Amino acid sequence: MFERMKRIQNNMQVRLLGRVPQRWLGAALLAGGLLSGCGLQKDVDVELPAYPPQLVVECYLEDGRLPQALVSETVAYLSAPAPSVLTDVTVLLTGPTGQVDTLRFQPGQNNGSRKVYTHRGRRRLSIRPGDTYRLDVRDTQGRRVTGSATMPATVPIDTVEWQFNDKPGDARRALVLTKFRDPAGSADYYRFQVHRSNVGNNPEAEYFPDDRLLDGQAVTLGTGYEFEEQDTLFVTLYHLDQPYYRFLRSIDDAQSANGNPFGQPAAVQSTVEGGLGVFAILNYQRRRFIVR
Amino acid sequence: MVRFFSFRFALATWLLLMPLAVLAQTTYLLRGTVRGTDGTGLPGANVAVPRLGLGTATDPEGRYELSLPAGRHAVQASFIGYQSVTQDITLRANQQLNIVLPTGGTELQEVVIQGSGTLEQKLQTTQMGVERVTAREAKLLPALFGEVDILKTLQLKPGVQNGGEGTSGLFVRGGSADQNLFLVDDAVVYNPNHLFGLFSTFNSDVVQSVDLYKSGFPAQYGGRLSSVVDVKLREGSRDSVGVSGGLGLISSRLAVEAPIKKGKGSFIVAARRTYFDVFTRQINKLNEDDPEYNPIPDYYFYDLNLKANYQLTDKDQVFVSGYFGNDVFGFNSTRGFNFDFSWGNRSATGRWSHVFNPRLFTNTTATWSYYTYQIQNKLDQFSFGLGSNIRDYNLRSDWEWRPEGGKHVVRFGGSATLHHFGVGRLQAGATDGSLNIGQDVEYDGQEGGLFAADNYSVTDKLAVDYGLRLTGFRSGRNDYGGLEPRVAARYTLSPKTTLKASYALMYQYVHLVTNSGASLPTDIWYPSRLSVKPQRSQQVSAGVSWLLAGGHLLLTDEVYYKWAQRQIDFRDGAQLFVNPELDAEFLFGRGWSYGNEIYLEKKDGKTTGWLGYTLAWTKREFEPQRGTNGINGGRAFFPTYDRRHNLTLVLLHKLNPRINLTGSFVYTSGNPTTLPAARIGVQDVFGHDPQVVPIYPDRNSYRLPSYHRLDLGVVYKLKPWRRLGGESDLTLSIYNAYNHRNPYFIYIDEVKDKETKQVIRYRARQVSLFPVIPSLTYNFKF
Repeated sequence: MFERMKRIQNNMQVRLLGRVPQRWLGAALLAGGLLSGCGLQKDVDVELPAYPPQLVVECYLEDGRLPQALVSETVAYLSAPAPSVLTDVTVLLTGPTGQVDTLRFQPGQNNGSRKVYTHRGRRRLSIRPGDTYRLDVRDTQGRRVTGSATMPATVPIDTVEWQFNDKPGDARRALVLTKFRDPAGSADYYRFQVHRSNVGNNPEAEYFPDDRLLDGQAVTLGTGYEFEEQDTLFVTLYHLDQPYYRFLRSIDDAQSANGNPFGQPAAVQSTVEGGLGVFAILNYQRRRFIVR
Repeated sequence: MVRFFSFRFALATWLLLMPLAVLAQTTYLLRGTVRGTDGTGLPGANVAVPRLGLGTATDPEGRYELSLPAGRHAVQASFIGYQSVTQDITLRANQQLNIVLPTGGTELQEVVIQGSGTLEQKLQTTQMGVERVTAREAKLLPALFGEVDILKTLQLKPGVQNGGEGTSGLFVRGGSADQNLFLVDDAVVYNPNHLFGLFSTFNSDVVQSVDLYKSGFPAQYGGRLSSVVDVKLREGSRDSVGVSGGLGLISSRLAVEAPIKKGKGSFIVAARRTYFDVFTRQINKLNEDDPEYNPIPDYYFYDLNLKANYQLTDKDQVFVSGYFGNDVFGFNSTRGFNFDFSWGNRSATGRWSHVFNPRLFTNTTATWSYYTYQIQNKLDQFSFGLGSNIRDYNLRSDWEWRPEGGKHVVRFGGSATLHHFGVGRLQAGATDGSLNIGQDVEYDGQEGGLFAADNYSVTDKLAVDYGLRLTGFRSGRNDYGGLEPRVAARYTLSPKTTLKASYALMYQYVHLVTNSGASLPTDIWYPSRLSVKPQRSQQVSAGVSWLLAGGHLLLTDEVYYKWAQRQIDFRDGAQLFVNPELDAEFLFGRGWSYGNEIYLEKKDGKTTGWLGYTLAWTKREFEPQRGTNGINGGRAFFPTYDRRHNLTLVLLHKLNPRINLTGSFVYTSGNPTTLPAARIGVQDVFGHDPQVVPIYPDRNSYRLPSYHRLDLGVVYKLKPWRRLGGESDLTLSIYNAYNHRNPYFIYIDEVKDKETKQVIRYRARQVSLFPVIPSLTYNFKF
């Protein structure tokens, strides 16, 4: 429960502000033991509304890397969790110069990120802020998903600091402060993560701030006192475009709405058209340091 | 925005008929009050002249008015639980007659059933679509955790839906949660709920009665589309000091009343507080040395009520009334994380009533209302605060004039309100000053209304109540206004059968910003401004009433159709908190509802109660707009409070002078909800923790199973206290007596293999909120 609350707290501080209070109410109600432990839950048979399968695309481009895309389709929620691979899909990637690359159907898993993909390009991309790419996904059933993404501007991290609390011995912990300056005059969206030891792990802290209240100002993002001496930390600041930011928030909302009687309806806000999913170009700054 | 053609006929009729008020001059007006010996006004008491077959019922403050021909009359006043009184008068002019009724024995007043006058009077009144519940009724009925809640008693009436298991929210004839006007002694209450809606803010010890208007709204009411819930608080005894209260499962109550000057004025002070926190704090204290222990959050709520009245002269009376209530939720972790959340209402009312003469009197009322919520949390050196509030100052003047002839009752007046909307306040900071941001989003609004109405007895068989209300609202440079015609008519087919019909147009200038489908403490009130135009609704209703079984039963059948424009909802993913451009998050659409309400009630004898059945449909439609697909692509859908069938049966049986048995049964169709239909997997930037993301189909495309529940209760009167002359009772309530697992919500869960931790299947889980809950409450009065 504490971890759940802490995560919500983290979100509350910087998301400024979404449906968090409703989540709190749901969490409070559940925490009150009103629902659990009294035999008040049971399995039920439900006939969920029909939902025709739609193509789902997940594709993140990065400068200097091979383009990879995962194409799948929606499945009925209560169906068995059997993996299925669509073999009749064509993926085209168009660069800022108009050059079109066909990503080959080559299912695999990236060793570094552990990400699964179905389609992969043959050459590494060279992307600069402001470059726009287009994605075109088609299958033999006539389904087509399209999307375009522009690389956001680089927002550099100015400083990363850590401070220890006054507690002795084993209770001594450090917090991390990350400072950067928000570009003035534009709506900017961020994703901030702090990983311990490896960026492939779940982040210790993660926020999704925007600059609605901080336009053009120096921004400080912090964590609680939760890091020990000699911890190796990675601080990552993603600068996001609005569609990708909305997609990230919407998948969070969609998950929260399942099981929260106070949750608002939450459709996934895809960045692509004709189906579901996300097509985005990543631009992030990362710092690695050891707390000491 | 004013559609003149829609009310032209009503306006013309009103102007034509108004001069008729000065015709016929054959009767005089008898008016006054009916009080108990302790000076408390008795609402719903009968005042009649049996020889003439004329009678009326007292209003919530115990006042009555009766038009009688000149001459000698025997005026009889009666009220169940009190001895009847007959007084002879000679009427040569308009006259004041105040009547005092002695109590009728040793019964606890609270265990006497009393409704709004007799069924005969209910048959004859022009007003339709109104329900009255007294605290006495509510106190007899079984209640969740033994907490008497007058709003939940209203939910047992036809046409009224609740907001979910155990909640006090009201959804009236297809209206949303924000379309109810809650008034306590004329002060607006913006959030009448405690504990996320499980209990209302109305302490039954001080509530005299509640009137719920569902249609045919009198012209003095305005500002909300769907209902008016008019709560009147009790006046203290003008005769002697009294103390009453109760000890319950989750809260205790205490009320003290006393005369300010005997026979002239009185006051009552009442308090209520829950005490879960007393126990949870002790548990936390016992475990404070355990580093793995997560403290139980603190929660309590309390209410304070004060009301005082004083008769300045025979013609002048004043009262003041105040309410202060809070909910407090706190979580203090040993790991540096604190969360405090509080919300509450405050209100104050001052009223001066002046009788110019028996035909003309006025009420001048000033009210102040305030609702706020605050969230404060802290994680180590970072703090975060979020809040919202709404504050109203209101001044209103109501006049009533009864011209000679006794065929007209003319009411007119006006009101002005200053609103302040603290839509959002955010503060975030760090103790070392490295972070300090804040934002306030605030608006002001001015709302005004003028009204005039005439209740005209056209013939012995036909009575018409027609009126007009002119309203306006200003917020910044945005001005809105409109005319609201109101018409109600009653035609007597026979002494035991009447036909009734009504029409009302309503505007609503303030809107609740909520995306949860329920009324929550964090909901924000927002004025009409920019793209957010006033909501508007019109309702027509018609019905027939039959007096059956020699006048012991009243059967009413009403049909209604309501249509509303500029209904509000919000885009998916809307930013509702501290958003200076909140109006861009709204979606606008239309709504309509229709249904048939059948109501059979019995108010006298050892067994009383009612049977209600409602067949209703409610729909809303939000077309594609503002870069969105609207809601469900513009297709009409059922909101969460749509219920096809609703059946309620309430029975109260007086077994003997010391034991009352009560029971209520509720059956409703399941409410629409949104369940995910499909799922997708999202890997995110890193593939180490792929997530299953639910995909939702059309909003509210699934309907939960039906809901049914039986509650039982026993009120056992204990022997009187010899020394103090006091009385007490034990009230046993059994909520959900046959322990039915009613659906609260359904979610989809994943089932994992215990060893591999891999998801092997998905399942639907139904969550219920309350099993059978017995509770015992001890009530006393001396």
